[in-house]
Amino acid sequence: MSDGLDTFLAAAPWPQRAGLRLLVALVRRPRGAALLARAPLVEQAAWSTLTLGRYDDPAVGRALGWDAAAVVERGRALRRAEGRP
Amino acid sequence: MDRLEADFCVVGAGAGGAVVAAELAEGGARVLVLEQGPQHDPDSFTARPPEMLGRLYRDGCQTATVGSPPILLPLGRGVGGTTLVNSGTCFRTPPHVLERWAEEFGLELDEATLAPCFERVEQALSVAEVTPELAGANAEVARRGAERLGWSHGYLRRNARGCVGSGVCVFGCPTSAKQHTGITYIPRATAAGAQIVTGADVQQIIVEGGRARGVSARLADGRRLEVRAPEVVVACGTIHTPLLLERSGLGGACGQRGGNLALHPATSAFALMDEDVDMARGVPQSVYIDEFASDGFMFEGAAGPPAYAAMVLPLTGERHTRAMADYRRLAQFGLMVSDESRGRVHAVAGRAVIRYDLCDRDLAKFRAGLLRMRELFLAAGAREVYLPLAPGARPESARPRDLKLMAFHPLGTARADARATHGVTDGDLAVHGTLGVHVADGSVVPSALGVNPQLTIMALATRLAFGLLGRAVSSAPAPAGAHTSANGRAS
Repeated sequence: MSDGLDTFLAAAPWPQRAGLRLLVALVRRPRGAALLARAPLVEQAAWSTLTLGRYDDPAVGRALGWDAAAVVERGRALRRAEGRP
Repeated sequence: MDRLEADFCVVGAGAGGAVVAAELAEGGARVLVLEQGPQHDPDSFTARPPEMLGRLYRDGCQTATVGSPPILLPLGRGVGGTTLVNSGTCFRTPPHVLERWAEEFGLELDEATLAPCFERVEQALSVAEVTPELAGANAEVARRGAERLGWSHGYLRRNARGCVGSGVCVFGCPTSAKQHTGITYIPRATAAGAQIVTGADVQQIIVEGGRARGVSARLADGRRLEVRAPEVVVACGTIHTPLLLERSGLGGACGQRGGNLALHPATSAFALMDEDVDMARGVPQSVYIDEFASDGFMFEGAAGPPAYAAMVLPLTGERHTRAMADYRRLAQFGLMVSDESRGRVHAVAGRAVIRYDLCDRDLAKFRAGLLRMRELFLAAGAREVYLPLAPGARPESARPRDLKLMAFHPLGTARADARATHGVTDGDLAVHGTLGVHVADGSVVPSALGVNPQLTIMALATRLAFGLLGRAVSSAPAPAGAHTSANGRAS
């Protein structure tokens, strides 16, 4: 699990945190994924959480044209140059 | 126990609290602001969705309603409140809504009354229309579709200054371009002498002899804080304000405290285009389509980085993987319903439980809206459209449990009504039946607005502050340094 996803899950109230961790563990396994497919909205929640972490990987993002570090760097440079808060 | 004194104690530093605090402090009052969350440092913003959701949102963005269907309710936490993490869209209260408030709730809030409040807020927040260059290709897809269908649409007005279209408004603006209240009104408040205490969880409003005497709070390090103040302004947001009033035994006589909850339930659809869209380049929410506003729904932009898109994309398994492989050609747009459904907030073991069920009329709006959304994308040239529905569900027959919904605009749980038997607060936003307690957040807004509410909340807060000072609202410029010209640059 990525650091970002850990931060996301750690901030959730314990019932959601425990539930989402369980869903992510299930959806990663073929038998778990097959089980989740019987409940579409639950399966969607599992996929949303799993892929939130997966596509947060900087290398994955860059392959899709998104470079978070560059966006942040540009933002910081602009803030400093213009004296923004 | 620590003790502080002030003329006004403001609970919450979001859209309402920050505005009240700044206006009161600049008016010469001694103001103390208690904010439950932290002061976020923009240097710590990473533009990475999961981490920012965990840090900037209440409950890590996992606040949800209980009901059919469950609805995710993202709320900001910290100085700036939800203005820190919203899309920055600014609408004045629609005139027909103000007319309804006058007729139904006895509120004397016509356009002329509120105009100076709106002018003052818009000036403080540098509100200006998004330019086509900044809007980006995702907005262009929707705009093109609306043009071809002849639907009414336009570029949105936003509170931004020097925006470069970083595409992460809802994950913490790395350029501090979005003029949230944490970098506009709160600095004005502190410059005028207001004191801001973060990490302060207000437990109760102290009332003696039918009038406010202050509040008691618990600080992040466990110490207790008592504030003595003859005037308390509650601005904890629509979900938590009624809970504080309940803990304090206030505002309950009418039976409306915590009730009357409107949410503007929303969803979004994706489309696979022929051209590169790169949805995160540009202002995510920059175009609106209001062709169907009179039918109770409206379209607004939505977009974000791959991790965000992957989270929201209404697909699973191999279809999700294939669609995300084409992320650069994905477009997204949002659908927001002006709801007639009403929910209720109450506390269970100290936590908010939000009950909300979608009524049949609102379900019909979603069905119609999703059909129109598909029409919009196809008119824009989409190859495929991904609607936010359970597998096998069709828009025209979708059930509540088939919908994947979020909501961004909770309103109404301490609604204003001139009659003490019908509202928690009166037309001046004072809590009925108690002296010295006022409310300044979305909870006082008595009905769904049909548009993003931040400007309405701020205008009402402005009116409240000037009322407490006993002065007429001036639309004159706020202090130097807080202003911009119409093009969003400092003047």
